[in-house]
Amino acid sequence: MEVNVLKLELGYIFIKDIQFAEQSKVENGTLYVNKEDVKALILEDQNFKSADVELARPGESIRIIPVKDVIEPRVKVEGPGGIFPGMISKVETVGSGKTNVLKGAAVVTTGKIVGFQEGIIDMKGPGAEYTPFSKLNNLVLKCEPIDGLKQHEHEKALRFAGYKVAEYLGNLAKSLTPDEVHTFETPSLTEGLKLYPDLPRVAYVLMLQSQGLMHDTYVYGVDAKKSLTTMIYPTEIMDGAIVSGNCVSACDKNTTYHHLNNPVIQDLFEQHGKTLNFVCVIISNENVYLADKERSSNWSAKLAELLGVDGVIVSEEGFGNPDTDLIMNCKKIESKGIKTVLITDEYAGRDGTSQSLADADAKANAVVSGGNANEVIELPPMDKVIGHPEVVDTIAGGFDGSLHDDGSITAELQVITGATNEMGFNRLSAR
Amino acid sequence: MIITNNDLVYSKLKDDYNILYIDGSFRDVLVKTRDKVHAGYELLTHPLSSSLKPNETPYKSVIISDKKGKLNFNSVYIIEDAIIEYDKFNMNIIKKISEKIRKDFKLIDLTVLESALNINY
Repeated sequence: MEVNVLKLELGYIFIKDIQFAEQSKVENGTLYVNKEDVKALILEDQNFKSADVELARPGESIRIIPVKDVIEPRVKVEGPGGIFPGMISKVETVGSGKTNVLKGAAVVTTGKIVGFQEGIIDMKGPGAEYTPFSKLNNLVLKCEPIDGLKQHEHEKALRFAGYKVAEYLGNLAKSLTPDEVHTFETPSLTEGLKLYPDLPRVAYVLMLQSQGLMHDTYVYGVDAKKSLTTMIYPTEIMDGAIVSGNCVSACDKNTTYHHLNNPVIQDLFEQHGKTLNFVCVIISNENVYLADKERSSNWSAKLAELLGVDGVIVSEEGFGNPDTDLIMNCKKIESKGIKTVLITDEYAGRDGTSQSLADADAKANAVVSGGNANEVIELPPMDKVIGHPEVVDTIAGGFDGSLHDDGSITAELQVITGATNEMGFNRLSAR
Repeated sequence: MIITNNDLVYSKLKDDYNILYIDGSFRDVLVKTRDKVHAGYELLTHPLSSSLKPNETPYKSVIISDKKGKLNFNSVYIIEDAIIEYDKFNMNIIKKISEKIRKDFKLIDLTVLESALNINY
């Protein structure tokens, strides 16, 4: 039986505090970080001329802006491969064995890749309620590129700095005994049928943003826009098989942290063998060309049919054109006689009364909302701003006069990292 | 045919592609695209390509078919919805962006367009 099951044990080591220290280590729930080691690691990349590292803990009066990615430190303890395969580890299939997680800690990258900015994490106040990352002990990286570095290279360098520092912190957990262990098992298709003959079979269609500079997602190092829709074990994603190079649309982009902790996958595993049989994850891209959208959604429907599932959950990433991918996936999968539930967010105007999506269909009759990104919010000033405070007046989703003299901000919810996440990794919804 | 208000797209691609340059706004590009779709051209890229919001970037490039045929209802549907979507955003921010930021937005629009053009058919 064991041979036909892919099994991953996630060991959570709970982090309740983060501090700078002489030696990097984890002790009694505190993550100690040697600042100079981390800086040296970042500066191995000659694309950076300087680097700074700061701490942001829950409840502190700190605003981080502009956030590019959030990454959870993890390490493979047993089993093949390493975290972030195809990026900083070899292209070996991950998702089995044991992985340790520094639960409650994160690496946050900030950077001014282009002039316009978005992505706020407030560690305190009303803004903190909208982002899950305010609850984490964050190590914030501020990396300055060498003069004349092209935007493409800058984006890549920053992305890799995040992975490398997350790997460095993750390695501190390699020999630790986890506080809590969670086991995730995916049986083969035939094994699953034998184990749960009476349960509905469910797959998850995970849509990945894939449109060019600052809009990309990578799967085992492959740019998702260049891949056909394919299948992946859910536990591979927990080992970092999917990483984010998507820096736009702060409120509804999926950061690397979201991929690692995908709540749809967590919840499907929770119900696996009880109310349903979680078959696998189907990953599909969101390209610019309408013909690509047709092809990718055809393929999602074809795979769902081939897998013989009874239902799928589809999650979207981003704003506007992905609504079309979402609706295509929905229509085509439904037309195979397979039920769909969609997860999206809304741009329903400031009063929430406008049409929510840029596309729609009568078959989309089961939709979960991550909230209205056009809603206007007020963010009080913070004592400290980490990142590039001078760009606050060019934040997206702000408008004329959105930055006030006292440092407070009036802006649309779209400015906050993760506020209307379309995997449901947030607290907003609509009924 | 590329319909664009991005002069970077125009200068970089004008020798290789049929380009309709619009000296106007993002919305003007959408409206011109709609007119073309109504005349029977097919929409080839999504008019809200990129997740940049209409109140962030002033630049937009859309690809439509070179030849016109029968009215393509799918194209009509997508472009009309894109204009409705566009009109939900507050446009004030666009007024205050600097030249440096404009250049960045032009570059993003170009790379998103190129991600479509690089595909082999």
